[in-house]
Amino acid sequence: MNEVFAMWKKTKMVVLVALSAGLYAALLIPFKGFVLIPGITEFRPASVLPVVLGLLFGPAGAWGAAIGNLIGDFFGSLGVGSLFGFIGNFMFAYVPYKLWLGLGLVPRDDLAPDLKSTRKITAFSVVAILGALACALVIAWGLEILRLVPFAALGSIISLNNALPALVLGIPMMIVLYPRIKKWDLLWTDIMNPEDVPIPGGLSRISSILMALFIITGLFGGFVAAFKAGQGFLYEGFGTGGDVGSMGVILIAGVGTIGLVFSSFIQTMPSDKK
Amino acid sequence: MDMFLYIDRDSFVHRLDPRTKLLLLLISFILGLCIKSLTFLLGLLAVVLMYGAAGGVLANLRRIRVVLLMIALFSIAIWTISIPTEPRFLIFSLDGLKYGIQVALKTDLMIISGMIFLSATKIEEIAEGLVRLRMPYRAAFAFSTAIRLVPMIVATSFTIIQAQKSRGLDLDSGSVVQRIRRHVPLVVPAFVSVIRGTNIFAMALESKGFGYSDRRTTLLDLRMGGYDWLMIAGALLSASVVFLLSESVAYGATLVSGGF
Repeated sequence: MNEVFAMWKKTKMVVLVALSAGLYAALLIPFKGFVLIPGITEFRPASVLPVVLGLLFGPAGAWGAAIGNLIGDFFGSLGVGSLFGFIGNFMFAYVPYKLWLGLGLVPRDDLAPDLKSTRKITAFSVVAILGALACALVIAWGLEILRLVPFAALGSIISLNNALPALVLGIPMMIVLYPRIKKWDLLWTDIMNPEDVPIPGGLSRISSILMALFIITGLFGGFVAAFKAGQGFLYEGFGTGGDVGSMGVILIAGVGTIGLVFSSFIQTMPSDKK
Repeated sequence: MDMFLYIDRDSFVHRLDPRTKLLLLLISFILGLCIKSLTFLLGLLAVVLMYGAAGGVLANLRRIRVVLLMIALFSIAIWTISIPTEPRFLIFSLDGLKYGIQVALKTDLMIISGMIFLSATKIEEIAEGLVRLRMPYRAAFAFSTAIRLVPMIVATSFTIIQAQKSRGLDLDSGSVVQRIRRHVPLVVPAFVSVIRGTNIFAMALESKGFGYSDRRTTLLDLRMGGYDWLMIAGALLSASVVFLLSESVAYGATLVSGGF
């Protein structure tokens, strides 16, 4: 998490936050009319951007995704749920680059997200899905606490709505964009001070594994608890008459969400290796 | 599409400090979430609409009328069907209808409050207000810059679309899905054209002293006036009275006693 706050020292990273947020919002706003749940979520091809922004711009992409989603909410869905949308979209971009660095899916001596091998494409798919699930977990948990939307319905809709564009559109986008971003010296690892960039190592691996476990347990454990409370998946979740705000869902998904946040504070920094 | 939400007026609401307006927005969200009584929710909605009328910004609600209507219809339809308690008529239950209306009112209320806030507050005021509330300047700068960039990015995208159309790309025919798929290849050039300016943008900022000092002066001089404190006191007092009078105090108990 150090880099999330250290990045604000760099003017280029601040600019990337603003540009990322503007891009995300500009792609979200035209699709606000393609509503899936009125006032909550809509069809979002823009969901391709957080993963791409996160892998290219790191913490600037994460802040940009969060702020861009908030700006998009100004055009028809601004409410208290926007707070969870802010955190959820932050995680949507943050989780991919953390897991890319720490999970060991790509070789340590070749961490560039250029997707030039099957291994890297597979790694991209894994981190994109986990990022989408992290976003779904945070937002669905928040709206379950507020008793506005059932967890299972919203969690499943957001998971699909985020993961599909990220997988289908994200891979070709990364392949096209990475060489240009690298050439312009805009990769976050090239901009930030080396001492502020986490590196692969024991702690990063532990953090990444914990992060992935908390996301999966929180979301799918929450689904199990939601089924027990009578909720259902997707739009069936609104028709089954389940209990919104059930304590089991709130606890399990809450543990997943809080665990996700705390695991991000564990990482290997260059100073740890000296 | 007109991206700008701010409506320029010289009204009492416009003259309030952005921090006051942020707090009023927050209080309306909290009350909207916590109140269960339909009477009080309607009363709160009426107060919010009067606040917007005092600022002369209700015209902006026309832009989101479809969203507000869809939220209301969706909530009422879904909850009327999905809550299976008696009394019922066919698949529709009275408890479900009441709950659906409640959720519709809550959601619409929050969206209307947010729209009124954005219609009566300039972006610079929002950013400066956030800085006065101890948000770091760089974060507030990124936020306000992003909002300003959205119309520029949309305009750039339209230019790219026109250029591709002149080369034979057909974006107007076919089903909705087909049209969306044809827009996808345009994301990359839009992305590249925006991000390409990062280095120059950063140099321009640093040439003007951005980040030179943490202590900044500002052109916008925000001061909390008498009316600001009056509005804040009035809102807090009203919220306290509403909590005491309405059924909503039970919300906390309901949260704790909710079933597994």
